[in-house]
Amino acid sequence: MSEGTLGVLLLGFAGLGPDQDHQQDMYLPAFGTHDGFEVVAAAGTPGDAADQAAAERLAGKLGLPAPAADLDAALADPAVDVVSVCAPPERRVDAVIAALRAGKHVLVDKPLALTAADAARVAAVAAESGTVCLPAHHQRFHPMIAAARGAVAGGKVGLPWNVQADFLVAGGTPSPAGELANFAVYPVDVVLALTGLRVRRVYARLSTYWTDGGADDFALLFLTHENGLTSTISIGRTRELADTRPAGLAVHRYRVSGSHGVLDIDASRPAVVLRRAEASSQTWHGAGTVDRLLDELHAAVSAGRPSSPSAADAVHIAEIVDAARTSGVSGHPVDLRSDQEGSR
Amino acid sequence: MARHSVIDGTAPLGVVIVGAGFIADHHGAALRASSRARLAGIVDVDAGRASAAATAAGGVPWTTDLAAALARPDVGAAIVCTPNVTHEPIALQIAAAGKHLLMEKPLTITAPSARAVVDAFDAAGTVVMAAHTHRFYDYARAVDDAIAGGAVGRPVFARLALLGGWIWPDWRAWVLDPAKSGGHALHNGVHLLDLVSWWLRDEPVSVYARGRAQTAAELRIHDYLEMHVEYARGADAVCEMSRGHRPSTLDRRDVLIAGTEGVLQLPADGWGSTVVTESGTSLLHPQAANGFAVQLDAWLDAIADPRAERAMTPADAVRAVALGVATELSIERGEPVTLDEVMEGVRR
Ligand SMILES: NC(=O)c1ccc[n+]([C@@H]2O[C@H](COP(=O)([O-])OP(=O)(O)OC[C@H]3O[C@@H](n4cnc5c(N)ncnc54)[C@H](O)[C@@H]3O)[C@@H](O)[C@H]2O)c1
Repeated sequence: MSEGTLGVLLLGFAGLGPDQDHQQDMYLPAFGTHDGFEVVAAAGTPGDAADQAAAERLAGKLGLPAPAADLDAALADPAVDVVSVCAPPERRVDAVIAALRAGKHVLVDKPLALTAADAARVAAVAAESGTVCLPAHHQRFHPMIAAARGAVAGGKVGLPWNVQADFLVAGGTPSPAGELANFAVYPVDVVLALTGLRVRRVYARLSTYWTDGGADDFALLFLTHENGLTSTISIGRTRELADTRPAGLAVHRYRVSGSHGVLDIDASRPAVVLRRAEASSQTWHGAGTVDRLLDELHAAVSAGRPSSPSAADAVHIAEIVDAARTSGVSGHPVDLRSDQEGSR
Repeated sequence: MARHSVIDGTAPLGVVIVGAGFIADHHGAALRASSRARLAGIVDVDAGRASAAATAAGGVPWTTDLAAALARPDVGAAIVCTPNVTHEPIALQIAAAGKHLLMEKPLTITAPSARAVVDAFDAAGTVVMAAHTHRFYDYARAVDDAIAGGAVGRPVFARLALLGGWIWPDWRAWVLDPAKSGGHALHNGVHLLDLVSWWLRDEPVSVYARGRAQTAAELRIHDYLEMHVEYARGADAVCEMSRGHRPSTLDRRDVLIAGTEGVLQLPADGWGSTVVTESGTSLLHPQAANGFAVQLDAWLDAIADPRAERAMTPADAVRAVALGVATELSIERGEPVTLDEVMEGVRR
């Protein structure tokens, strides 16, 4: 490995659904093309036979050493600097904590944890370990969104007072955990990154419109932030649409209203639009959001600084999601504790 | 739509306009363009305004006395364009006189009074319609046509935003006084609340709303409103009504409907031509039907055949008022408010 290249252990090959494997679908390809990383090992999640079988298959396919006998052994490998964690959700937090305690930097698939309490456990260990713990909230690195974050922070629209967001995916396999748990982190993270204002109050509606199962496939979040900013976020998975690739974003946009202007962010751009006999499609060139997420991982590790987003950001998002669940059931707004000011 | 033709000999309906302010001009223009109705006079408490409007309309009679105007045998109906708080007494007076009414929105500013007005017209056997003009604009009809045609299956989520900057005059404007306007939810919010309810073909059950005094902290109305409506069959609507955006030239209509079978969008920048000039960029609206003329025709249709299906029913008007009231209450409380609470003791 050349100077500055970080060795990566791929730990876990599961997600919030039977066919969700962001490790192989998203992170592995991105690590593969990134100059700053080299995948050096794979390991399955302890106690999960299917996951371990996936690790064995992948190690064989990539010509990596056979997966270590247990997690401690895998984490003891000095060639490993970074652990990319896609352990099944119920085992994810323990896997991340083990990696942090072993002194490794961690990239965690979203959601980092299923509850705020679990996320807080991770954040506490991350704060102690001093290593990087980066939750994979990669949509904030979208070129339209990243530019918008700069514009808002630079005062382009004055003091923001409202954000409207839509994050509607079309087709793909519904998450058995519900799309609130599955998708909310993305647009909520973007709204927090755009405004820099924590959420104080959550009102939510959870519905099931497109899937037969009991899990929610549509969520509306009405958030009240510090300084009175309000935001409204729709999150959902509709049926498939001809012009959207399966599990692709059918509508992904943000509108920021400020004291001196309005900023419209359409995250389906930039795009070259292709129209042919079949449904139209879009394409663009350059680094994707996951590539840019890895840029941040590399930069944080190299500089010895916490990543942005951090584990603490994931805790706040998990609090919002927890509150949304409570509000969805009670039909009333839920106030968040405001004793976390220091964790920003 | 049955249009009057010159040969069938029916005299056009004589209509007085009550309240000769800003919006009265639009109704006057629609009347001028109609062969089925004619402007028979102007009523305004302000003699100067009444006479000026009457002169501008080619010398039609004017008066400050509504009763006198309603007593004229050649007056069959009224279009009322007065401040919202006056709607209830004026409507009851028109019902008692046995005339038809096109009432500017909101029908009234409380749910019981809206119901009372509708009951009064039922008793009189004349027609009352509230002027929820957006229902008669091309964009709203295009959305409704698509939904009616099954384009999105069952609509389950509607987003509607009408965003603009300051349009009101100064602190003396009655619109800024909640006692006179009912608040912004009743003044303008009702446009959106009515439209999404019409589109979704469902009955609202509760409202969660947030409001903001954006242009000035001293405002006693919310110039920005964010209103969530939950419907009986489970659909959701998010409506934003703003007069608090900057720049004040902002003119934004945004529609997104997600249904069980598809997604429908009127993109914010997708319904006009962009004009870029030395003084900036603006939107050139496409040629469109005059919503006030289409609305006038719908009202005249209802008068011609009160049993025919109506473009806007009295119950729709009451519902819009109830939604506006629920919005104002929800903002005050920071909690969702049910329509049942607002309609307590009021027949739907
Ligand atoms: N449909 C729409 O798109 C739309 C748009 C704007 C206003 N409106 C509605 O139209 C109505 C009028 O609004 P506006 O902006 O034209 O107001 P305005 O202040 O410009 O005009 C109101 C007029 O009513 C007169 N008036 C007041 N009290 C009266 C009374 N008791 N009897 C007779 N005349 C009286 C005033 O002297 C004034 O001339 C309101 O209900 C408003 O909600 C509808």
